[in-house]
Amino acid sequence: MNMMQVMQSVVWAVLLWPCLVSLGVPLECKDEQGSIILCASISKEKLLDRVIQHAELIYRVSEESCTLFEEMFVPFSMRSQRNQAGYTCATKAFPIPGSKSEIQQISDKWLLHSVLILVQSWIEPLVYLQTTLDRYDDAPDTLLKKTKWVSEKLLSLEQGVVVLIRKMLDDDMLTTSYYEQGVAPYDLQPEVLESVLRDYTLFSCFKKDAHKMETFLKLLKCRQTDKYSCFLH
Amino acid sequence: MMWRDVGVTLILSLILPVVAQGARHTPPGKPKLTSCRSPDKETFTCWWEAGSDGGRPTTYSLFYHKENSDTVYECPDYRTAGANSCFFNKNETSIWVNYNITVVATNALGNNFSDPVDVDVVYIVQPHTPENVTVGVLEDEDGPFLRVSWEPPRKADTRSGWITLIYELRVKLEEAEEWEEHRAGQQKMFNIFSLHSGGVYMVQVRCKPDHGFWSEWSTASYVKVPDYIPRERSMWILIAVFSAFIFLILTWIITMNRSSVKHCLLPPVPGPKIKGFDQQLLKKGKPEEVFNALVVQSFPPRSTDYEDLLVEYLDVYVNEKQELMPEGKDLQDVGCLKSKSQSDNDSGRGSCDSHTLLMEKCGGVESKEESSYEEPELLQGQAGSWERLEKGDSQEVDTPDSSDGRVKTWPSVFSPSIHGSSDNHHYGTLEMPKQHSTSEITYSVPDHLFPTSTSFPHHHHPEYSDSLYHLSRSPSAGVAYHWEAQHHPQAHSNFNIRNLERQKEATGLGLPPSRSMEYVEVQKVNQENQLVLKPLSSHGRGPFQVQFGGAGVNYSKVNGVNNDNVLLLQRQREMAEAGQYCDYQEKEGGSAERYPTQQQGKTAKDGPVATLLQESTCLTTSGYVDTAPTMPTF
Repeated sequence: MNMMQVMQSVVWAVLLWPCLVSLGVPLECKDEQGSIILCASISKEKLLDRVIQHAELIYRVSEESCTLFEEMFVPFSMRSQRNQAGYTCATKAFPIPGSKSEIQQISDKWLLHSVLILVQSWIEPLVYLQTTLDRYDDAPDTLLKKTKWVSEKLLSLEQGVVVLIRKMLDDDMLTTSYYEQGVAPYDLQPEVLESVLRDYTLFSCFKKDAHKMETFLKLLKCRQTDKYSCFLH
Repeated sequence: MMWRDVGVTLILSLILPVVAQGARHTPPGKPKLTSCRSPDKETFTCWWEAGSDGGRPTTYSLFYHKENSDTVYECPDYRTAGANSCFFNKNETSIWVNYNITVVATNALGNNFSDPVDVDVVYIVQPHTPENVTVGVLEDEDGPFLRVSWEPPRKADTRSGWITLIYELRVKLEEAEEWEEHRAGQQKMFNIFSLHSGGVYMVQVRCKPDHGFWSEWSTASYVKVPDYIPRERSMWILIAVFSAFIFLILTWIITMNRSSVKHCLLPPVPGPKIKGFDQQLLKKGKPEEVFNALVVQSFPPRSTDYEDLLVEYLDVYVNEKQELMPEGKDLQDVGCLKSKSQSDNDSGRGSCDSHTLLMEKCGGVESKEESSYEEPELLQGQAGSWERLEKGDSQEVDTPDSSDGRVKTWPSVFSPSIHGSSDNHHYGTLEMPKQHSTSEITYSVPDHLFPTSTSFPHHHHPEYSDSLYHLSRSPSAGVAYHWEAQHHPQAHSNFNIRNLERQKEATGLGLPPSRSMEYVEVQKVNQENQLVLKPLSSHGRGPFQVQFGGAGVNYSKVNGVNNDNVLLLQRQREMAEAGQYCDYQEKEGGSAERYPTQQQGKTAKDGPVATLLQESTCLTTSGYVDTAPTMPTF
């Protein structure tokens, strides 16, 4: 009997070998219509880890891009002053918590939704930034590459968050966003101080929002693992 | 009235500045915000520095407003963080929000605003130093290593993920100058390998959020590494010991065989040797004898051409009829020849290269410094003495005379007479010994050939008679004599032979003048210590040629010297006559065989024996054997 069982399990393992391989399926799962289908099983924890990694990377690259832009185009006198002359970051649809205590009062659901909104709000502006940078005469290549990379990664982050929402919250209503939201295109010429400052504002605001995403996700992760110790402090 | 006001104003305006200057009261100087820092991303503190005082007590106040509102708030806490600081607690701290902060200095006279500063708490995070830095030494199979562990600063909330810290540590030996830095990432533990044994290390750790400033270095932790020998080094030590051991063995071996190694690497260069120098004699303490030995009568040697010694062929003039006295024209010829060869006195054949048999004449001439050659009287006298010499020679050929070690025997080419025939006057010719089965030519060197010889007493030294090939040392004479004896007999025998030859020509034997040379071959040495010559002729001329059945010209070469100081001659054959000669040779060989034994038996000690190698007789050899290496040095 034992031998038979062993043989059976071996045969099943051999037959299911492709399935075993497919366990590590990437985050993005789409069908033809673009709606997200349930990917092959990946645990929530692993998914959350990957999302967090994405967010971390995006933040780091956005910080580097902002620094690059600042060094290249922004006059020295205006560097430390962010959000001056009325170029403030666009306010979001809902209030973003501003402190740890506030964040701790937010539920998981809202956290995830906040992240999603943040991500979706920046997809458009990043595309705009890419086109704007091309118009600069001496924009460094690395800056262009980083901006391009960030906008791509943002899309994948969005997908990941959507999947995460579906997994964690069993919320199946969301789809990837295609709606337009964001900064209206400006027709100012590049290299003019105004446009430079505007772009600079975009970079810095994006950097801040990337950090927000990262923080939210990390807090979320803590709650997943050990709910009580996260609130103790 | 107006004048009064004007006057008061004037006075006041004059007084007030004075008063004011004396008191130095001015509005305060401009303060400046130096820095704002947050240790945990939940609270933060700002510091400012004051401007000039203005002479009056000044108060400072900090005002701020947040990014999107215009409400100005004042600093809630001036004291917690110390002087000139403002502390924002948790409730008042919002992240991701820009604070616009301004400091105002106020005194009685006025106030002064600082430049506003925008602060976002997220970007000003500088945590405290890591805590509980512990360093321990752990053992591994490769050796000990350090394990450093620490904890995040208490205030930073890394547990909930609020802050993500990355760490960095640095290590150095206590006495070293430079630190060695390592990035530890987010881990709280780090291993350090490749330690110096017995060294004391200092370790420090610091941390940084992913978007802020580095903290201060923690206080140094000291750790001592125990002594150990690295495994790698121990292996090298083993290898070094082993090679040292092998090196010692090799050195010992080389030292034991020092001489042979030296001989192998640096072959001894033959040094100059003084001929006739007897070291033994010198050791005995008789310098006079030694020096006397050095003084050689015939020095410088007549023939410096060692080729003569090696070239075994002898010029023999074969003359059927022996004449005691040369004819007159012979004398003249002799004289002519002699004069011709006057230039070459030292060569073996030079001065006496005449066809006369009167070697003593030549010797005598040379003794008289080769100045006078035409001395018929001398010749005759010498001829007479020659006769005497001849007879004496024949008689005394066997008696060794050790009084002085000169070669004494006259190389009489008229050997047959000496050997057994009664005709002793046949000199200068080489008569074919018809009556003998073997043709033997013996000759001996006259003593008068040596310049210092004044008389013709014949001091025979049988050892030297055949000492043409004498290779051993005579106990009674110096080495030089050996050499002399060797050299001269041949030389003079050459002379003799040539003389004979020429005489033969003169006597009209029919030989063409151009053909003046005939070659003899030394066949052996008979029991009277006489060289038995065997005439050779390359063209089959001469009576002996016939007798010998057409023997070809053969050059006898010295093949070597065997252990008994026997000169081994080697025959060289022409191919055409190899067969004939072989036959003859066999006969000769047979007879020759006997002789060596007899000779050896007789003169076992120091009799030089010339034997012919039989095995090589029938073969055509390639060339002359270079006997120089085989000749023992004197």
